[in-house]
Order: sequence, then structure tokens, then C-alpha cells
Amino acid sequence: MSQVSSRKTALVVCPGRGSYGRNELGYLRRYGQDLTGFWSEVDAFRKQKKQPTVTELDNQSEFSLSLHVPGENAAALIYCASYTDFFSIDREKIEVVAVTGNSMGWYTALGVTQSLPGMAGFEVANTMGSMMQGGIIGGQLIYPIADENWVPQADMKKNLEGFIAEANQLGEAYVSIYFGGYVVVGADDKAMSFLMKALPKVQDRFPMKLPGHAAFHTPLLRQTSEKAFAALKPSLFHKPNLPLVDGRGSIWQPYSTDLEALYDYTLHHQVTQTYDFSKAVTVGLKEFAPDVVILLGPGDATGGALGQIMIENKWLGCQSKQDFIARQSQQPFVLSMGREEQRSVVV
Amino acid sequence: MSIFNRAEIVDQNFRAKVAKGEFPFSATDESAIRNYPPHVLVDVFESQVMSRHADLSARRLRERAASFYTIGSSGHEGNAAVAKMTSPQDMAFLHYRSGAFFMQRAKQYPGSTPLYDMMLSLVASADDPISGGRHKVLGSVELNIPPQTSTIASHLPKAVGTALSIQRAKLMNLDSHLASDSIVICNFGDASANHSVALTAFNMASWCAYQSLPLPLLFVCEDNGIGISTPTPDGWIEQSFRNRVGLHYLYCDGLNMVDSLRQTEVAVRIARKKRQPVFLHMKTVRLLGHAGSDIESMYNTTRNIETTESNDPLMHSARILVENHILSREDILNMYDSMRRRIDRVGEIAIMRPKLLTAKEVVASVIPPMKVEKSRPFPDEDTRKEAFGGDWKQLESKHHMARLINLGLVDQLLQYPEMILFGEDVARKGGVYNVTAGLWKKFGSRRVFNTPLDETSILGAAVGYAHNKFIPVPEIQFLAYVHNAEDQIRGEASTLSFFSEGQFTNPMVVRIPGLAYQKGFGGHFHNDNSLAIFRDIPGVIVVCPSNGYDAVRLMRTCMDLAYRQGRVCIFVEPIALYMTKDLLAPDDGLWTFPYPVATDSASFGDPIVHGKGDEVCIVTYGNGHYLSQQAVAKLGGDYKDAVKIIDIPWLWNTDKTKLMNAIGDSRRVLIVDECRKTGSFSEGLVTDIVEYYSEHHKPLPHLQRLTADDCFIPLGVAATVVLPSCDGIMGALQNMMQKENGQSKPSENRA
Repeated sequence: MSQVSSRKTALVVCPGRGSYGRNELGYLRRYGQDLTGFWSEVDAFRKQKKQPTVTELDNQSEFSLSLHVPGENAAALIYCASYTDFFSIDREKIEVVAVTGNSMGWYTALGVTQSLPGMAGFEVANTMGSMMQGGIIGGQLIYPIADENWVPQADMKKNLEGFIAEANQLGEAYVSIYFGGYVVVGADDKAMSFLMKALPKVQDRFPMKLPGHAAFHTPLLRQTSEKAFAALKPSLFHKPNLPLVDGRGSIWQPYSTDLEALYDYTLHHQVTQTYDFSKAVTVGLKEFAPDVVILLGPGDATGGALGQIMIENKWLGCQSKQDFIARQSQQPFVLSMGREEQRSVVV
Repeated sequence: MSIFNRAEIVDQNFRAKVAKGEFPFSATDESAIRNYPPHVLVDVFESQVMSRHADLSARRLRERAASFYTIGSSGHEGNAAVAKMTSPQDMAFLHYRSGAFFMQRAKQYPGSTPLYDMMLSLVASADDPISGGRHKVLGSVELNIPPQTSTIASHLPKAVGTALSIQRAKLMNLDSHLASDSIVICNFGDASANHSVALTAFNMASWCAYQSLPLPLLFVCEDNGIGISTPTPDGWIEQSFRNRVGLHYLYCDGLNMVDSLRQTEVAVRIARKKRQPVFLHMKTVRLLGHAGSDIESMYNTTRNIETTESNDPLMHSARILVENHILSREDILNMYDSMRRRIDRVGEIAIMRPKLLTAKEVVASVIPPMKVEKSRPFPDEDTRKEAFGGDWKQLESKHHMARLINLGLVDQLLQYPEMILFGEDVARKGGVYNVTAGLWKKFGSRRVFNTPLDETSILGAAVGYAHNKFIPVPEIQFLAYVHNAEDQIRGEASTLSFFSEGQFTNPMVVRIPGLAYQKGFGGHFHNDNSLAIFRDIPGVIVVCPSNGYDAVRLMRTCMDLAYRQGRVCIFVEPIALYMTKDLLAPDDGLWTFPYPVATDSASFGDPIVHGKGDEVCIVTYGNGHYLSQQAVAKLGGDYKDAVKIIDIPWLWNTDKTKLMNAIGDSRRVLIVDECRKTGSFSEGLVTDIVEYYSEHHKPLPHLQRLTADDCFIPLGVAATVVLPSCDGIMGALQNMMQKENGQSKPSENRA
């Protein structure tokens, strides 16, 4: 007989860009005390690259758009905050059964599962985050494909696809990320400008341009991918110690991972093709059937997308935002470590 | 632990023996291991473990009455190697012990959820993405695995058809579903290899290969040595298949993943590069009995069972991984146990998902959804003129049915470039009755071709071609010949939409010359008058025209339904009416008709009403319509005014409301059915009429059936004596009127 585990099983989700905001300032100082040795290495690495250290960034008295939002700083902060959270999970009461991430959260996922062990994970995240230092290629906007009740609407998605097709008459535009009830569009300047003007304004805020974001996960980043292959060696990659679900919904298993393929996926497909976070989470839910989903910090903005993905799959009976909220208030299924009350259940 | 619960024993044996390092011995050459990187071997092993635990989980859920299917894949996990060596571009027709193949292939398609899907299928959830809770089938659109319902190898003929379709699609520049370098995979068990349908498929494959027709097909015979309780004789499969003409025979030890990978690699290379069929004989074992309900100890000794269990392929795989320092025993047990826990969790979620609860939900996928909105445009006039050639000017003249169907097929072949027409003698000879004359010359042998004299292969090929976006129009030479191939329609073609929630379809229009009344001929096999085998097959459309004009219009509609909705249509052509020109007297030409104009097609399900009489209504089809027209004309003027004839070419697909409206206020209904009294369409028609009148609280009209006797058709002059005749119809009409009106004639009645 197999051993019966009393631990709760969890799918861990690593957030992407935009998760370290004003409220997250000091996150590492608050939660990262157990990893001071690691921060020293991280800071030394940054110093060597002539970049402000993560400790300096996190310890700023005020949040600064010019300092905390650019990729070369944001990626490092987010990686470190998520890394902190992952290793704060009490493994005596939580069994992590799979790890996935959104966008740059993929690098975090590789890091926390030791596929990119120790500093390798940070090196990849920092290197990839710093690729736009010389100037951002294109941009991203976010637009809903679900109604305000978080129920997916096929016609909204179809309409958006129509506008993307139209934008491609002027420039280049692609689906960058499927993000629950939203689509993140990556586009060059001409296409972006068209979309921002042409897309009907909905739900008060959309279309919303994402400040400081490049056209990640689109063919516009072909050269970035080439640079990444030149900058990062295959030897950085190791077999993960937990199953990983990537941005296509493919599962990388601890014992059977083909390292060459993982290296290639991470620096090519993942960089230049759509990142389907919705599919990644769906696969994580269906194939690992966890008791809970743990959203690593910083922040908790990805929690909404997780709820929307649950609704799309009618997971645990959730068919609307109200269902999800009710579920969360009774017995939270999504535990955001960026929320103190939910963090306490996990650490 | 009960000795009957072999699932638990196999599970515990694996854990205990791996922990101790007690692995089974293998004499199989493993030197090919150097060809496969460690991650490949671990990947295959992991798929085997996934499949095994799905089996074990199904057994546990069954004990809780939460799962409904326990035929598993345990012992056959070697087929993961076949999936590893092929790709989702290679269509796979899988038998039910292919869990490991399914798991392995799913890994090649990002976003797949094979464990979840498998568990949904086992618990018959409506969320099951392939069958929607209708059956435990292995199938997936994305993975290119059409679901197989058959447990009797009846999926083999279609595999041959699909394999044949690949080269034909390439030659025809067809926008086909399968890539030109793809192959087809079809697996089955050793016991199933004895089925007649399997043998017909092997024969067809050999027949094709023998004459160098490209047939990129990989048969995988998974030989576990037993068919439920009947052992397969030692060496039977090898001796039967080693020396088949045109069929490459390869053997592999399916317990040994290295040998399975190696031999599959060779087999796939032959099929893919040489485009030749391969018979891969894979040795397997059967663990956990035939199914959950099968207690193997009732017919096998414990010693035999234990010997088989000691050869568990998972233990062989574990041994290979440990001996080659790829994984430690602890790693293997970790992987095994964590997979078990994972599948158990997935199972618990799956059993909470919704089930099909109503008949409406279940029935919903019998008929596939309309997939194409608009009909295919009719060919333009210039194209038609060129294709018809000298016949173009003949279109406005009147012709008999055979000629009109022939002309109609020209237009259909022009309208549907994916249409192919095949059967026995249909090409150069033009069919036994010249119905396909000249089409081979006009459209070439890629689109009009002969087949061997084997109806199972013909219909199986039609299903197979349809899987590659063809619209096959196979011909079964005579109605009697369809009976030995019936299951290709009943068990395969008709069920595909149902078991795939309309996701897979196999559109086709099967032409079958049939029914009786051939002059100076007779004999059962060329005059068979039974359509009963088609009567109760859900979703299949059966059509029987009574004249050439309607035949063309009906064929157009059938092709449209096949094209837009993926329907399976059976088009029964009354042979006796093929050349019939006259109705009442020689050379009157009353049964010849002009070719319908291009825009004219039959409305699906509509009865065709002739005459306006409201005293007697004849409901009939095929030859019965012809004879009824004769009878009414011979009876003369009064009867012409009193009688209405309703031709129902759509038979049981007739729109019942329209039919009842057409019957209207007629107080006498005569049903003329040329098929046998028992089991014929008219039985159902009477029921429909009675039910309708009862439901609508209307007085039931006088009903009478005129059918063929429950007999076979004899030869020569006696050929028609068991059939409804013109005289018989006349007599019945007269009797009906007399009975109802007290010896009165129709006119007197009206007066």
C-alpha cells in the first residue's frame, strides 16, 4: 500500500511581471530573512553587473516607477520575492505536487524546482529581465475576454482576435499571454497604437497598456531569444525535483525531463510564442488535482486570473465570480502568499 | 488480501520486488539501449506507470461503484514504445489495452490532460472530452486517435483504408487531414487476429502491397497468449503472419522496452519510408484478468497466473533502468507511489464531474452537428460542358434511372473534388449495370477505381478514407452482399459520431444496387429484398429512389449531408428500375425523365406526393411506387381521381409530420412494401401511423399492407410470385374500396 499523506497537496503558481508594486516594497525584508545567504550572492551578482542590488531596491523608502518597474530591476525583485515565498512554505503540512508560473514566473518555477539550481535561476531571470535595457521592443496591453462576472465570453475573444488581425495590417500584433479572463497582447508600436485606439473601451479600464513591458512571448522577441542562447549555457539546466507545467501546458517530470529540450523551450518557444498561462494552470489542476493552489508573492493580482481559470473549467463547482468568492471565503482554494491571512495557512 | 484480487497482488509485487531488487530475468538482447538516451527510457516507463495506475484506480473505483469499465492495459504497457516512436500526425486506431500508448502520445501534444481525461472516461462523466460519458474509449481529436468502439477487430479494415488514402490524397492534391509522410497505426490482440474482419484487413493489406500500392500501415499485434479464457496456441501468430505476401513481419518482446523501442523503430521506418505494411508481433502478458469481472483462477492455475505476473513489463522496465544506473530503486518507487497518489486525487475529482442524465443528452451525438454552413457550389457551366462532353446535349432528353444516376455522378464528382467512387467492377467496366460507365475515363483511376471482391474491405476502406477528408462513394455490387460486411456500417461508421460527441465523422454515400423484380433473372443473391439490417441503426440515412429524376436529386442531397454534416448515407438503387423506360405499354417512355436542373435537389425527409385523391392513399417506395402508378393507371379514371400515391424515398428518415399531413383525410391507406413482411419498413410505418392518429385523437384510417412474403427470391419465372405485383395492388385497391363502401366504385362513393 502506498503511504497515506495527511499533508495538503498544492499546485504552486509563480507570478509574472507587474506583481511587485507599491504595496510590495520591503517584501524581502519582511519575509526573506531565512535566505540572507542567498541574498548576498544575488546582490553580489547584481553588483558585478553594475545593477542596483535587490536588497537596495527592496529597501527603498518609496516605490519608484523608474526604479522598480523596468525589467532589469522588476524581474530580479519578483524572482527573489517568489523564491522567498516558495521556501517559506511549510512542507510538513503542504506537499507541493507541481509548479507552474506566468510569463517570467516560468524562470522562478525553474529556480524553485532546482531545474535552475541556486544562482542559476536568478541568473536566467535577471539576464532575461535585463534584455530590454537598451530599449523596449514593442509593448503589451491587456484586454478582457470574460464578462464582469468572470464568465468567459467567446464573442469577446473572437472580437479581440479580429482587432489583432486588423492590427497586423499596420504592424505586428500577437496574443502574448492567455491570462484567465484576459488576453495580453504583444505588439509593435504601430499595431499597439492602433489597438489602443480601436479596441472598444470596456469595464472602465480596458484596453490597458502595461507600463515598461515589452512584447514578450511574441515573434517580435526573436533576437532576444538568440541573445539568450548566446548568454545562457545549457549546463545551467538540471532535472526539476518537482513536476513543472510550462506555458504550453506541457509537463516536465522530475525523472524524464530532456534537458536539451527544456533549455530550448525556455529560451526559444517560451520567449517568442504565446504563453498560455490559462492552459498551464488548467493542466496543473486537472493532471495533479491539488487540494489547494498556492500563489507565491509578491502581490496577489494573479489570484483573479486563477479564479477565472477555475470558472472556465467549472473547477470545484465554480461557475462565476460569486461562486469563487464564496468558495474563497469559506475554504480558500487559492492561497495567495501576498495576503497575510492566507499566507499564514501555508507557512 | 484476497487471492482473487490480482490488481492488489500485482501492485504490491511491484513495490516489494523493486524494493528488494528482485527483477525478472530477460534473455532479450538489450544492446540497443545505447540508441536511447536515459530520459527517453524514463519517459516511456513513466507512461507505463501512468497507465498501470489508471487500471488499478479503475478497479478501486469500481469497488465503490464509481467506475464502470475495468478492461485495462496491464501487461500491454509495451505499446508506449509505439507511441514514442510515432507522432500525433500518425493516425492511430487503438484497441482497449492501449492506455500506455495514449499516455505517451499525449505527452507530444502540449496541454493534454490524459490522466484526467482517462479518469473522466472510466467514471462515464459527461465531461469526458471524447465520448462525453457515452463509453470508455481511447480517443482524441488532438492526438489523432479516432475512438474505437469495437472489441472484435472491426477497426482493422478502416485502418487499411486510411493508410491507402494518404497516397491518393497526395496524388489528388487534396487538402487532406493526414500529412503525406504520415503512417497509420492499428493495434489489436492475438485473439482478435482470428476475427474475419481482421483477416480481411490483412488480406487487403497484402493485396495492395503485392501490387506495390503504397500502404504505410503498422499493424501491432499485442500477443498476450490468451483470448479471455481460450489460450492462443503457441507460435500461432508467428506461423500465421511470418510469411504473408507483402507484409513485413517483425517480432518484439513487448515486456522489454528497449526491444520494443528498437523493433518499433524499424517497423515505423519501413512503413514511413517504404510505404509498406508491417506486422509487428509484440509479445505481452495479460495481467489482472480479462476484466474486473473475470476471475482468472476459474480457468487458469494459480501457478500460471503467478508466472505471468512475475513477467510484469513494469518490472522489466524497472530492471533496465536500475541495471543501467538511470534510476535508483528508490527513485522508481517514488515515481510509482507519487503517480498512484496523483491518479487517486484525479479520480476523486473525476467522480464529482457531471454524468449524462437524460435520454436527450445521450442521443444528442447520434447525428453529428452541421459543420459546414454552406453547400458546396455547383460546378460552373463551362466545367460541366467539358466534363459531360457529348452527353451535355442529352441532359434535356428523357432517360432511364441508370443513365440519370450516371449523369448525376458526373456532376457530383465535379462538385466534390474529394469524392471517390469505388467498388467491384465500377471502373473500366462501368459496373454491372453501366451506372458508372465512363466515369473512370472522365475522372481517372485516382477517383474511380476497382476493389477486390470483398465488401468488408470496401466499406472499411470507405470509413478509412473518410477519416482523411475524402467523401467516399463505395458501391456494394448487390444488396445481398452487404450482409457479410454489415458491421462496418452498424458497428463502425454509424457509431463514430455517437462515441466522439460528433467530433469525428466518416461521411459517405454507399451505393447499393438492390431489391427484386429483375426480369428473366431472379435468384436470391441478385434480388435480395431486405433492408432490415439498416432499419435500426441510429443516425444512418437510407434512401431508395423510385425513378431517375428523384435519384439524382436525392443523391445531391445525400452528398450535401455527407459534406456538411458528415452523415453516413445508404443509397439503395432498385436494379429493376435501372433500365425501365415504360410504365404501361412498350415504348410509352412514361418512366423516363429529364435530368434535373442544377439547382434542384431533394428536401431531406420529404415525402413526394403524386395525385390528389383523398379516398385511398398508397404509401410506398422504390419498385412499389412504379407498380402503384401502373396499378392506378390500369384501374382507370375514377381511381386516378380517388387515389393519392406518396413515395417515401427517405424511408425511415421520412418526416413523419409531413407524411401524416400528406395522408391527410384519406380514410384508407395501402402500404406497398416490396420487402419481406417481417422486419420490413412497413411494420414501422404502420406503427407510426397508429401512434400518430392515436396521439392526435383522430379515427384511424383503414390500413392494409401489401408486402413480399417471408421468403427468399426464387429463380426464373417464379421470381416475382412472392412479391407485391401490379395486379395485387389493383386487387387491394378494389377490395379496400369495396369493403369500405359496400361494393361501390370510388366514383359512386364520391357521388
